[in-house]
Amino acid sequence: MADAEVSLSPALRPLHLSPSHSAQPPPPASSSSPTTFSCPSSPSSASSSSSSSSSSSCSESSSDCPAHHHHHHHHHHHHHHPRPQLQLPPPSHSEQPSSPSASPRSSSPSGSIGSTGSLGSSSASEGIGSSGMSSGGDPRGPSPPLDVISEDAMEMDLGVDQVIDPEVALKACQEVLLKVKLLDNKQQQDDKQQQQQYADVTEPRPTPRPESSSPSSSKQSWLLRLFESKLFDVSMAISYLYKSKEPGVQAYIGNRLFSFPDSEVDFYLPQLLNMYVHMDTEVGDAIRPYLIHRCRGSITFSLLTAWLLGAYSSDMHISTQRHSRGTKLRKLILSDELKPPAPPSDAPRSVFMSPSRRTHQRSKSDATMVSSGPGAGLRRTGSNPKVEAVHEEVRVMFTPERLRPQREFVKSLLCIGKRLATLPTKEQKTQRLISELSLLNHKLPARVWLPTAEHQHHVCRVPHTQAVVLNSKDKAPYIIYVEVLECDSFETSPVPIRIPETRIRSARSAENLDCGAAANANSGGSMTSEHRAGSFSTVPNYDNDDEAWATDDIGQLQVEAEAQTSSSDNISQFSVDSITSLESKEPVFIAAGDIRRRLSENLAHTPTTFRRDPEDPSAVALKEPWEEKVRRIREGSPYGHLPNWRLLSVIVKCGDDLRQELLAYQVLRQLQSIWQQERVPLWIKPYKILVMSSDSGMIEPVLNAVSLHQVRKQSQLSLLDYFLQEHGSFTTEAFLTAQRNFVQSCAGYSLICYLLQVKDRHNGNILLDSEGHIIHIDFGFILSSSPRNLGFETSAFKLTSEFVDVMGGLDGDMFIYYKMLMLQGLIAARKHMEKVLQIVEIMQQGSHLPCFHGSSTIRGLKERFHMSLTEEQLQLLVEQLVDGSMRSITTKLYDSFQYVTNGIM
Amino acid sequence: MSQVEKKAGLLRRTSSSKKPLKEKVVLMYDEIFAKEDPAKNNPRFWDELFLMKVNLEYLESKLESVDGEEVQRIQDNINSLFHHCVQALGEEHQIKVVNALQTLCALFRGVHQKNKSASGFDIINMLMGFDKAEQRMKDLMERLDSLLCGDSSESLKSLCLKLLLCLVTVTDNISQNTILEYVMINSIFEAILQILSDVSSRGQHGYDAVVLLALLVNYRKYESVNPYIVKLSIVDDEPTLDGMGVVVHQALTEYNRQYKDKEEENQGGFFSTLTSMVGSMFIADVDEKLSVQTNEAILLALYEAVHLNRNFITVLAQSHPEIDIATTPTTPTPTTPTTPLGTTPPSLDMMNNPELPLDPNLQTSNLLITFLKYASIVIQDTKDEHRLNSARLCLIILTCIAEDQYADAFLHDDNMNFRVNLHRMPMRHRKKAVDKNIPSRPLVCAVLDLMVEFIVTHMMKDFPMDLYLRCVQIIHKLLCYQKKCRIRLHYTWRELWSALINLLKFLLSNETTLLAKHNIFHLALLVVNLFNMFITYGDTFLPTSNSYDELYYEIVRMHQVFDNLYCMVLRVSTNTGQWKEAASKVTHALVNVRAIINHFNPKIESYAAVNHISQLSEEQVLEVVRSNYDTLTLKLQDGLDQFERYSEQPKEAAFFKELVRSISLNVRKNVSLNTLSQDVLLKEFSTIS
Repeated sequence: MADAEVSLSPALRPLHLSPSHSAQPPPPASSSSPTTFSCPSSPSSASSSSSSSSSSSCSESSSDCPAHHHHHHHHHHHHHHPRPQLQLPPPSHSEQPSSPSASPRSSSPSGSIGSTGSLGSSSASEGIGSSGMSSGGDPRGPSPPLDVISEDAMEMDLGVDQVIDPEVALKACQEVLLKVKLLDNKQQQDDKQQQQQYADVTEPRPTPRPESSSPSSSKQSWLLRLFESKLFDVSMAISYLYKSKEPGVQAYIGNRLFSFPDSEVDFYLPQLLNMYVHMDTEVGDAIRPYLIHRCRGSITFSLLTAWLLGAYSSDMHISTQRHSRGTKLRKLILSDELKPPAPPSDAPRSVFMSPSRRTHQRSKSDATMVSSGPGAGLRRTGSNPKVEAVHEEVRVMFTPERLRPQREFVKSLLCIGKRLATLPTKEQKTQRLISELSLLNHKLPARVWLPTAEHQHHVCRVPHTQAVVLNSKDKAPYIIYVEVLECDSFETSPVPIRIPETRIRSARSAENLDCGAAANANSGGSMTSEHRAGSFSTVPNYDNDDEAWATDDIGQLQVEAEAQTSSSDNISQFSVDSITSLESKEPVFIAAGDIRRRLSENLAHTPTTFRRDPEDPSAVALKEPWEEKVRRIREGSPYGHLPNWRLLSVIVKCGDDLRQELLAYQVLRQLQSIWQQERVPLWIKPYKILVMSSDSGMIEPVLNAVSLHQVRKQSQLSLLDYFLQEHGSFTTEAFLTAQRNFVQSCAGYSLICYLLQVKDRHNGNILLDSEGHIIHIDFGFILSSSPRNLGFETSAFKLTSEFVDVMGGLDGDMFIYYKMLMLQGLIAARKHMEKVLQIVEIMQQGSHLPCFHGSSTIRGLKERFHMSLTEEQLQLLVEQLVDGSMRSITTKLYDSFQYVTNGIM
Repeated sequence: MSQVEKKAGLLRRTSSSKKPLKEKVVLMYDEIFAKEDPAKNNPRFWDELFLMKVNLEYLESKLESVDGEEVQRIQDNINSLFHHCVQALGEEHQIKVVNALQTLCALFRGVHQKNKSASGFDIINMLMGFDKAEQRMKDLMERLDSLLCGDSSESLKSLCLKLLLCLVTVTDNISQNTILEYVMINSIFEAILQILSDVSSRGQHGYDAVVLLALLVNYRKYESVNPYIVKLSIVDDEPTLDGMGVVVHQALTEYNRQYKDKEEENQGGFFSTLTSMVGSMFIADVDEKLSVQTNEAILLALYEAVHLNRNFITVLAQSHPEIDIATTPTTPTPTTPTTPLGTTPPSLDMMNNPELPLDPNLQTSNLLITFLKYASIVIQDTKDEHRLNSARLCLIILTCIAEDQYADAFLHDDNMNFRVNLHRMPMRHRKKAVDKNIPSRPLVCAVLDLMVEFIVTHMMKDFPMDLYLRCVQIIHKLLCYQKKCRIRLHYTWRELWSALINLLKFLLSNETTLLAKHNIFHLALLVVNLFNMFITYGDTFLPTSNSYDELYYEIVRMHQVFDNLYCMVLRVSTNTGQWKEAASKVTHALVNVRAIINHFNPKIESYAAVNHISQLSEEQVLEVVRSNYDTLTLKLQDGLDQFERYSEQPKEAAFFKELVRSISLNVRKNVSLNTLSQDVLLKEFSTIS
């Protein structure tokens, strides 16, 4: 298989695929192992047989090259490696030998990201359409009939040598079922449960329930129908991919992945990749085409995949790691050879794009040569947007290195974190952070983006002074705010033009006028307000540099015009100050008491901000309401006037393994959607995690939230009093809403903490948002791991008397509501246990993460769902858990332990 | 220094005259100064000439010795020499280019030295001939421009800059240097910018480029449209502006570092340090004499950038770690100018290089901080004329900064906290502040500290009135910003108040001596109005309610100073005399202060009497103040929050003319020392080619 992978790399080779070229040693036999249930991937060949070697070497490259270059190669190879056992239903379109090998992948437009769900069907239809196939018009829904799938697979799966023959797959599935049944009784039970589930929902279909005694044929058809059914979702696909030992099923599922919406598969990307890295070859082979395909289509996907592959390979021994498939795929992706295929119809363009790598590079240097011409001009004329635009186009056309800007961007952010860690004090760290980020700004805007964001955008500026170092003992995680400009596609939309920092300084002109008017007022003595208004247009220049500024470009003037209107506030205020004394010649008197009173009132009225604490620089930054921060930063940004301006934020972590966090995020997301589906009003806030390596990554910050520790330290109030202060007294609606939010989130996180055995629950790891929700962060200790293995924290979850106070006491309605929510949540979670278990189980594969320590992790997790209990028993269990947590002094003890060791209250 | 130079020159001259055999080049010079066209007999004359090593001394002395009538006679040959020099600049042979550059230097200098009194036009005529001058200078500037912008050797570029510096400084008054008219028409501004934008060339030539730019901007600044002013004011390319900032930052950092070294060296004997430093402080080892004035050239550049270019303000806040930037690896990264902005992948110089060095002891700094530290050293001693000018320039720069909204925004940015170790003069009455304890605060605190420091350390007989005025105005501008933007700075305002009160006290006690030279009423008015700002607008910018009480406490505590001031201004304003009006303004300004004193003093006294306390504690006084606000009425005064914006013309024009003159003299001296008498350069080329 190794060679097959390598052969995939020469991306744009087809022009050179002359027979002489293909005389290269064919890939070793391993790739043509009998286990591959593949059919030759060239539907173009009239014969139904082909060589696996040919398909493995050239079909890999086929997805890059326009199809018509390709088929020669196939023909060349057919003769000597016939594999008759691989039957392929004669493609209906085989009478068109030249075109059909155009895989839908290669013809799908590059910007597939974001067009979620449309990819599968659109690419298929495009493939059909572009090749003029008569069989077209079969719109592929979410659950296409099997034969269509195979056809699609044939078309699109040229990248691999595996396409499923429905009959073979059928047979395979049958075998799988049998084996599974025979081998593992327990497993079978699970299957049964699943089947039950499926059967439950597939009611309309008169599918016979698969009994163990029933004839195998019915079972077959059941599995087949399952695969075909609308209910066969990504979760099931992943589950079968993992559990099935049958290559046929695996390969089938590998192909089926193409038919799911991207976003749904993306959720399981960690699972897919972990399987790819740690499970046997067949699973890898089944997944690989899909991964390659997605990588071609999307830079984001490429990078996410490469990062995760690196992270999940890191637990391997270094020697195996180097040769592992994960590492190889990662290298392939990072080599940036997986480019989107050239647009098919654009003839001159494709000529430009298709040459091999070498010519490609040459054309790149051409580009730089070309650009040096106007570049020189650029230098001379200062920034000339026109020239820049031309350049941008040139760049897009050649797309030199797709992944590099983003990789460099991320790398520099991570490097900053590493360097910060060496500085001793928070203050120094923050200062350094600010200065490093200001350097980063010089390179922005660029074709870089924040992977945590929902929408396509380009990063245009980092308001560096807003960044703060977060509380951590020896690492230096930090939060940055990032200004972005949304766009249609960050891969193809032009990068925004840089606007100098000082463009925002529009106020200066207004200020000039201000003072000009003031000076006039002073000297003239009796200037009416009309005069003053009139003087805005006629104020003389005070310095000859004003004249020079006037020659600045129009864009700036516009900005200034806007800002001038917005700053009218200042002007009017100013006018009041002086008019009062000017118009009435009589002296104006004020009481000293009033000034003093206004001072203390003003001070009291400033919203409850936190004090600036050099030891806790993030407290102030995080306390500031997000809306306000956005407004403030927007006002100060030269890009702020653009309608597509957005503010994002991200936490950069260096030296921390975020793989567990990612796992926790997935479980939380899964439970959240389960609860939504089951309409249980539990509230949790999974925050996005980006794993960049086994010791670095990024976290999406929770907005408008500060830790309970910060709340307590800054406010010096009990939690209940703080609620009263922030939201109003007991009977107000605001308080009641906040209280309900608190209860719903407490219930959600209590369950999470119990199910996942989340430990290290001190007040620094629990956030409180402005709506009253609590949010648990830091899932460093879950499942089988706990901090330093101290005997602390034995309670199921954290429920302090402070929490109970906010809920209105032990006898209050809200507390009963809390317990009821937990019960409902647990019942709902139990119903979908498999979906949760699956996430964890697959990630255990090959992992050395502490949360998988020991052998009973999965079993323990499963047990905590208490499948065997009745609902009454479950209710009792919830009571016990709550009771135990209430009475547990260990939580309290743990808090004081944290205070002693980390200074967290 | 000039002595050294002369000595060297004399020695060579004598030694060359002793030699029976003259150098070939000298013979050729003689031919030029003969009547005949030297190329008449030898068509390859000019080719050969530029292969010869230049004998600057001889050529210059020859030019100097030409007397009036001879000039007419040899003018054609001189014109021809100039012409061929310019042409030789286009040669591929680098030796020729070097020789041509040096010969041009000698020509400019020799002709000017000879004709000190002559008009610029005569000089142009003698060098180039009127009819051809425009073309010649155009060619020269174009050649220099392409040498500076092309990929010629660094030494060559350096020499080009030296030639330009030499040309710019041949006259004492730059505005009388008529040749510069051609430099205005044929701008080399872009070449200077390119040097500054590129990391490696900036490291080698940045200093010269910045000084050259500062001088060119000052050519006929007030009389005509100087294209360099116009161009400098609209530069918005950040790498270039940053480059300029880095050069200034580096020069000032170096000065600060050397000062600190010296200071540590001479622990104890501070005044000896100071005096020795006046001479040798700035530039390292070789040229000790560069010192103070070279600073002024850099300061002038900083001033012009801050004053003319609105975009440069951002550079002030651009953080650098405190390092010697020249030593960082300077990988050639010319990509920035050629690739359009925004498309440069964020890698290249910044991310591939190991970036900022990793030293936890390094404090992050920026140009403004470095400048503040520098200013704190310079303003310590203003007795010396040069240093007085330096201090004045520092305060002018600070004035411009304090007026700028964007600068004010980052000065007051709560997220940008720094520790700024200002230098403080050791004085009898106070210990030297312990550096370590300075808290990290917004930068404006450092500015205010510097102002307070100046105020308390310069109350002397030779009163620097001008500096005091600027100082108080800077504070006023900062307060206006805070009032306007409602920024409540956590600053120990008390120190400022007591410094200001002490200043008033000093003015009072030295009334007669000071009045002989200065209008002390103007200063007093400004100071009193600062108090009025606090009194009437304190609610908008004071950090705590307590601070308002403390203001009253301070005024009441020092009431005697205000009482005396009032008596004094009342006396002067009732007499007829030149200060009548100025003094009466102060009496009006004192209304509120007097109201406060008259209101609270009796209250405090009666409180003491009622409670039988002879000496009230601060807390007790504050209590009295707090409980008696409501019966006090203040008068709202006009225009407290308005100020006159800084403008260079006409007020400062004379100062800058003088400053530029002294910088010119200094640069001229150093240019001659640095390169032209050195053979290093030629050696380098002889090995290359």
